[in-house]
Amino acid sequence: MAKALFIDPKEARKSGEITFTNIPVNKYQKSLKEEQERFSRDDLFRIYRDMAIIREFENMLYVIKTTGEYHGIKYDYPGPAHLSIGQEAAAVGQAYLLDKDDYIFGSHRSHGEILAKGLSAIEKMSPQDLYGIMEKYFDGEILKVIEGQNKRKANIKETAVKFLLYGTLAEIFGRRTGFQRGLGGSMHVFFTPFGIYPNNAIVGGSAGIALGAALNKKINRKKGIVIANIGDGALGCGPVWEAMNMAAMGQFWKLWEGEYRGGLPLIFNFFNNHYGMGGQTAGETMGFEMLARVGAGINPEQMHVERVDGFNPLAVIDAMRRKIEILEEKKGPVLLDVVTYRFVGHSPSDASTYRTKEEIQAWQEQDPLLTYKEELLQAGLATEDDFRETHEYIRELLDEILRLAVDEKISPRFDLEKNPNLIGEYMFSNERVEKFDDRPCEVLIPKEENPRLQQIKRKIRTGIKDGQPVAKSKTYQLRDGIFEALLDKFYTDPTLIAFGEDNRDWGGAFAVYRGLTEALPYHRLFNTPISEAAIVASGVGYAMTGGRVVVELMYTDFLGRAGDEVFNQLAKWQAMSAGQLKMPVILRVSVGSKYGAQHSQDWTSLVAHIPGLKVVFPATPYDAKGLMNSALMGTDPVIFFESQRIYDIGEMFHPGGVPEGYYEVPIGEPDCKREGKDLTILTVGATLYRALEAAEILEKRYGIEAEIIDARSLVPFNYQPVLDSVAKTGRIILTGDACERGSFLKEMAQTISELAFDYLDAPPVVVGARNWIVPAHELERYFFPQPEWIIDAVHERILPLSGHTPATDFSLSGQIARNRMGV
Amino acid sequence: MATPVVMPKQGQSVESCLITKWYKKPGDRVRKGDLLFSYETDKASFEEEAETEGVLLAVFFSEGEEVPVMTTVGVIGEEGEDAAEFDPRGRDGKTPAEEGKETTPGTAGDASPPPEAPEQRSIGDKQGEREEERIKISPRARNLAAQRGVDYRRATPTGPQGRIIARDIAALSVELPGAEAPPLQAGGDFEEVEFSSARKLIARRMHASLSESAQVTLHTSFDASSLIALRKEIKKDPERLGHITFTDMIVYAVARTIRNYPELNAHILGDKLRLFRRVHLGVAVDTERGLLVPTLFDADRKTLVETAVELKRLAKECREGTINPDYLTGAGFTITNLGALGIESFTPVINPPQTGILGVNAITWRIKEDKGEYLHYPAMGLSLTFDHRALDGAPAARFLQELKENLEKFIFLLCK
Repeated sequence: MAKALFIDPKEARKSGEITFTNIPVNKYQKSLKEEQERFSRDDLFRIYRDMAIIREFENMLYVIKTTGEYHGIKYDYPGPAHLSIGQEAAAVGQAYLLDKDDYIFGSHRSHGEILAKGLSAIEKMSPQDLYGIMEKYFDGEILKVIEGQNKRKANIKETAVKFLLYGTLAEIFGRRTGFQRGLGGSMHVFFTPFGIYPNNAIVGGSAGIALGAALNKKINRKKGIVIANIGDGALGCGPVWEAMNMAAMGQFWKLWEGEYRGGLPLIFNFFNNHYGMGGQTAGETMGFEMLARVGAGINPEQMHVERVDGFNPLAVIDAMRRKIEILEEKKGPVLLDVVTYRFVGHSPSDASTYRTKEEIQAWQEQDPLLTYKEELLQAGLATEDDFRETHEYIRELLDEILRLAVDEKISPRFDLEKNPNLIGEYMFSNERVEKFDDRPCEVLIPKEENPRLQQIKRKIRTGIKDGQPVAKSKTYQLRDGIFEALLDKFYTDPTLIAFGEDNRDWGGAFAVYRGLTEALPYHRLFNTPISEAAIVASGVGYAMTGGRVVVELMYTDFLGRAGDEVFNQLAKWQAMSAGQLKMPVILRVSVGSKYGAQHSQDWTSLVAHIPGLKVVFPATPYDAKGLMNSALMGTDPVIFFESQRIYDIGEMFHPGGVPEGYYEVPIGEPDCKREGKDLTILTVGATLYRALEAAEILEKRYGIEAEIIDARSLVPFNYQPVLDSVAKTGRIILTGDACERGSFLKEMAQTISELAFDYLDAPPVVVGARNWIVPAHELERYFFPQPEWIIDAVHERILPLSGHTPATDFSLSGQIARNRMGV
Repeated sequence: MATPVVMPKQGQSVESCLITKWYKKPGDRVRKGDLLFSYETDKASFEEEAETEGVLLAVFFSEGEEVPVMTTVGVIGEEGEDAAEFDPRGRDGKTPAEEGKETTPGTAGDASPPPEAPEQRSIGDKQGEREEERIKISPRARNLAAQRGVDYRRATPTGPQGRIIARDIAALSVELPGAEAPPLQAGGDFEEVEFSSARKLIARRMHASLSESAQVTLHTSFDASSLIALRKEIKKDPERLGHITFTDMIVYAVARTIRNYPELNAHILGDKLRLFRRVHLGVAVDTERGLLVPTLFDADRKTLVETAVELKRLAKECREGTINPDYLTGAGFTITNLGALGIESFTPVINPPQTGILGVNAITWRIKEDKGEYLHYPAMGLSLTFDHRALDGAPAARFLQELKENLEKFIFLLCK
């Protein structure tokens, strides 16, 4: 309990000073001769070989981009090429000690890291394991391309090297035989069987995701470490700071228990090439002078930060050796400032106008490929012939894989002519996985003893009994439905964890998690800093490395703080990995009220717009529990909207109330909450109850029987029941609490217009919230849809009601005028 | 700036509308979209909203007055502006239409100016007009009308912005007998068959004929004794003259009678009649593919036998589908015979642009008084439909009368 940590005012107010330990800067100064005891000749030479492979691979891309051919092989490649020429030593040095259980996450400039990590993994794996991996990946589709070329049985390690280079290049070229079937591209190549996890085209995007992967390693006690490879430019990104701060949370040492106590196995590795695109980080766009300085600000351990000479592969290996030890001692996270330099532009179109030729030349004079080669020669570990031979081998290797990768027959693209929905099929995995591991679930008490569960047992599981509404204090509430589903899963899936702001102890700001603190150890339910970006990104990283997670944004309004993480990361990795990664993340977001403009918004349309997210918005306890159960059984990211207006609502619709046992409400199925024949009202979220009031008035005053359909889900969505209803009634109003302009209601209205046009007696009419800021609670009824608005809309747009005088303006001219004003 | 409020034009044929209610009175402030007045045509009622903002300065027509369309009925502007200049009746209160009536368009050289067009709206004029001419109807109402076979143009719109909605069609079809019957189910209760192209053409022509002309049918009969006697005579020796039908004889008689009634051997072309100097007669033939009307050219110059032979050939070619399409046009008048099917009288539909069609009916026995005696005689019915636009009832009746005479004294006609 955080309560155990006493904040002593005497301590807090005491005079003193913070002391820092010195941060090592390029301390490694050993010569190759001195290192010969630790490295074999072959190892040392292989370091050179790997750097040379990366250099030539990148050079090949550079030449293709700028001249359209390489060694006479013509190819037009219009896609991105953020090359790492100059940074090879840093990549190879980092990868040298790593094996397949160590995960790296990269950036837009990660070809070198991928190849280095892959080559290192190949070196360490047995031929059988290697062959098994290649045979299994896409049912051996890529392996067949490599083997198809070599009639004689080749050395498996050599085959694996070609496999790695080809899979990477084919992916860059968008081929079906690429590692992500061409759905990732240059900035998103990865190969998880070698411990290479997604690179990220969003600067710093990997920081939070790597944090989640490290949480997964720690919580599920998996072997290996995790590295976030990002550039010095990423230090300007808030989410990176959030991730570093959250990775260093005090609770890992102070509150997590038993073997879970201690730091994360995580390195924030900054490949510091001194530029964020053209902005010079030290001196121009940032104030740190030396990037390593920032480690001192994060935690007392100063993140074990040091600056390492990334132009010397042996210096990097040395640093990695020491840092891995620190991580194994559970003292992470670690920050590394690896000095390097890119000899070419940000991309081939960059003319490097922001730096001088002299500067580039000065770094090129210290090119690791020259200096390290010189050292090998001087140490007598290699001859000029050895190098010539190696370069010959690399040229042949690259010529071969380039020929394969540009061949339309051998390396076809997705045939979207034949199967137009091929990419669509990758958007969701749609699997059912009860649990992601078979080990027992770590809990603190047997489920039946849970105090909240016992309290719920005394509640009435329906909202109406004998025709009378049940008192709030006695009724089974919507928040109880969410809780029951979650509790159940915490006792089924040992990988399930939940975190967010004020989840533990507090029980969530809206008491959904009350009773979970008593049930779960810290590592399964914990509080995070107020870092929405890091919360969502770490959920993404946790899930993609194999585990189920529920994260929370206290208010939908905070979604903006996690924009990239929700829109670009959570939504996209399943499809960008061509189905290799699963994303069982539930993101709970709460729609507020009473709290004004920044705490009361329904932003369903923002997430529903982004392909790759499932979106649900239950409005009853039965639906909340059933949808949460479905979400917790699936393998897709689900944005789970909850309305604060109705956390305490009882079950008014489901006969027999909310079942105690397990059941699912399928995601994507709307539900008829009230039958009628004259008008359909489609509601999203808590507006259901205001629509019900409107329906009562319509029936009593005007004899109009409204049918109410609760959308329950937004993505996916089965329109059929709505269309059937409209076929019957001929009229439809759509209502919800989102600002009307661009709302999902508008999307639905448009779709219904197309699908039910011949049945419509009037255009589908949307009754949403005003396109304003949400005003104070006392004025909310002028902002959110009210029952009278629905009736006015019926009168003005659908079916004039005799004797009705509208109070709100639903005139066509009013609508035109408001649009002209932009409100 | 003061803006006139104009009586909208609701459909091509509507010339004037009745103001039923003013919702604003002069001096009232008016916002855009406010209801100004309601009005009706003989078919439907409508509401007019303000298109500009300001003060209703003047109202030129009161409730219950009939106003020509596109006439200024009121003015919206700012207080103090002069509205009188917009008064369509001028200061003496006359509508342009009334003015038009008084100053009858003169002969050539008349110096008086032509009546001015009614006040036009300046903004969005064309668009506004198009919209008003459109019938607004929801897709559901349109489908319902088709399903129930009612004409939605007869519906009174009660939906927003004057839209015909489903309940308006329902209200319309309640008036029809059987409208309460349960909806029929395709498959069980009926099947739907697409029109053949021939049927479509007939449907279009017949509907156009009835909706675009002013058809009147006159019925009469004549004593067919002499026709029957003559036919009997001819039949006795078929080798000699071949087979002569009543139709042949009637065609022969019409061809000679119609020369005296040029308005019936004519085409109507808008405001003109094309009077034919030659007599080409259409003769309706029932075929499997539907009704066909081949033409007997220069019918008045053919002998009875020639008429019989040629009509037989034309009918055969029509039934076999080998008729030259040139023989399906060019007639100035048509004869159709349903007598063989026992029809005693009917209202044949003119084949436009012709101005008349003669229906031939069955022979029935009637009694007539002749010098105090009652005689049985075979009476053959004739039903003449004529286009009242082309001629009046009296000349049409005179044609029938002369035709009757010629048929009763057919032998004289043959001798001419």
